[in-house]
Amino acid sequence: MVSRFVHSGYLTLLLCGVYCLAVGTWVPGFFTLENAHNVLLALLPLLVVATGQTVVLMTAGIDLSVTSIIAITSVIGAQLITSDGGPLAENWLATPIAAIAMLCLGVGLGLANGICVAVLKMPAFIATLTSMMFLSGLAIWWTQSEQIYNLPRSFLSIGNQLGSVLLITILLTGSVHFLINRTLFGMRLRAVGHNPLAARTSGVPVSKTIVWAYVLSGFTAALASVLITGQLETGSPVQWENNLLDIVGATVIGGTSLYGGRGSVIWTASGVLLLSLIDSSLNLLSLSHFTIMMIKGAVILLAALLDTLRYRVNEGNH
Amino acid sequence: MIRPYATTLILMFTVYCLGCNSKGPSASDPNQITVGVAFETLQTEYWVAGFDAIKSELASRDIAVLEAIADGDPNRQLQQVKNFITRRVNGIILVPKDAKSCIPAIRAANAANIPIVLFNRPASETDAKSVAVQANNFEISKETVSFLIEQARKSGTKTKAMIVLGDLGDINAVGRRDGFEAAVQGNEEFIEVVARVPSEWNQEKAQAGVVNALQANPDIGLIFTSSDFLLPSIISALKAANKYHKFNEPGHVIMGGFDGDATAYQMLRDGYLDATGVQDVYFEAKASVQAVLDMRDGKDVEPLIQDPGFVIHRDNMEEKAASTWGANVQPAN
Repeated sequence: MVSRFVHSGYLTLLLCGVYCLAVGTWVPGFFTLENAHNVLLALLPLLVVATGQTVVLMTAGIDLSVTSIIAITSVIGAQLITSDGGPLAENWLATPIAAIAMLCLGVGLGLANGICVAVLKMPAFIATLTSMMFLSGLAIWWTQSEQIYNLPRSFLSIGNQLGSVLLITILLTGSVHFLINRTLFGMRLRAVGHNPLAARTSGVPVSKTIVWAYVLSGFTAALASVLITGQLETGSPVQWENNLLDIVGATVIGGTSLYGGRGSVIWTASGVLLLSLIDSSLNLLSLSHFTIMMIKGAVILLAALLDTLRYRVNEGNH
Repeated sequence: MIRPYATTLILMFTVYCLGCNSKGPSASDPNQITVGVAFETLQTEYWVAGFDAIKSELASRDIAVLEAIADGDPNRQLQQVKNFITRRVNGIILVPKDAKSCIPAIRAANAANIPIVLFNRPASETDAKSVAVQANNFEISKETVSFLIEQARKSGTKTKAMIVLGDLGDINAVGRRDGFEAAVQGNEEFIEVVARVPSEWNQEKAQAGVVNALQANPDIGLIFTSSDFLLPSIISALKAANKYHKFNEPGHVIMGGFDGDATAYQMLRDGYLDATGVQDVYFEAKASVQAVLDMRDGKDVEPLIQDPGFVIHRDNMEEKAASTWGANVQPAN
């Protein structure tokens, strides 16, 4: 029973509840509707991008390029619609066109990552790390480090209205949850992550499955970029560049395995919630950024250790 | 599998809502004024000195402080400002990452009716209301560079010059560059600008750029850096080119900077630096705190409070030392 509990990913959700009760009583402002609103608005873009990361981790891969995809799509989208000379500035369809362009770019970059990993057989770590470096550099060169401001209100409202962000996140996470748990693609993801050789022998299109996982990750990064650019009202070539640890960390804390074959969007949601609660409460306590980083790092390390223990137990059972 | 999760989440949400108090945290002492101080970074001596000066000014007025450092992340800074608002602070002093991405944070403070002052970096033009306290980058730089040109004129020959630029997305860097160019204008018969090195406020980039510029123009005789925190990179490049000499030694490169940090002050004393434009961090801290209190009391405050600053050089070093913040702190290295 205990083993099943630890293996299920329920642990993180329980930790969220315990953490809330433990800190909520003495952290000033933690139990307020205002804080709940802030935490929710901040965690939803993280959940969106972590959902894509979950799918990639399930294939035993990793996508380190997500923050640079967020940055490059942010500046391209913003440049299209800024009233400071954007080509679509006067167009009444500016917002949907920019959002679609950002999503298409995200999908394209995800596809490139997927091809590097699945077709060219590059290690995921190197393929996506080099993508990250290239795209980050490209975003800075393209904008000459300039932030892009004066975006239309209709675009901003996608990211800074809790209702729209919540709706988009529920639609995305619900779809990916369905995809993982109720479709052949989900079964293939697990099979590829557990043992790609066995999966290939069983007729699973391994390369295709991996490519689709990275495409999905690129898509979710671009979708998160739409929300973040709206929240900050700015297209930035360094958008979210410091948040990679949070994205991978939240996914692992939730219970998705770094070794592949095991993952769930709901687990990731639990991981994102726990990380956001820690972040919010420590910020409310006015702790320094470095202390917060150390505590979050320790939590992620513990989660990774737990993942390793689970993996070893599973290996032993087989 | 989704059902138990959903049930647990709903239970947690219910517990959270039951614990929620829509009016926010009640202050233990309703008369206690609290100000949130959010800095983008503490990476340079100037920001550390500014942070300390603000905290010291607040402490001297019995005002409690909440602190936050965003480590260069505007998204994190927005959350930090929202947390200040949740904590019901009476005012916010903010050093934004840049002039644009801080606008949602200003809007959030406006919506909560909390006065917000931007320390050293004003926001871009916007309908969001804030007050900025900023050094007069243009005038201080112009005055500093004019002093350097005066030194160069004494040589009687045309001097080749280099400017190390800051991040041109930062309005301060733009002001300093423009001040440099304005000082050079009209003095072209004495000064020829042969290198404009971008640094993006990055020491490694500055060093690489200065090394390249010195290789291309080994006879550069005047260097102005947009911030004193880049001086160690310039020293390193000058040493590598065997061009790091005191003002009274042959081969001295006339050098000036901006900020007035401890490294610059020490270099002035040692004779390696000729002048630096000083931001009066104590004035800026005092003006920021006063602006928060005035806005809280409903008084009219000018949207931009300018720190006139001053230039410190060899001839006025003793006189200006007391008001140079860099003279009162230890160099970082």
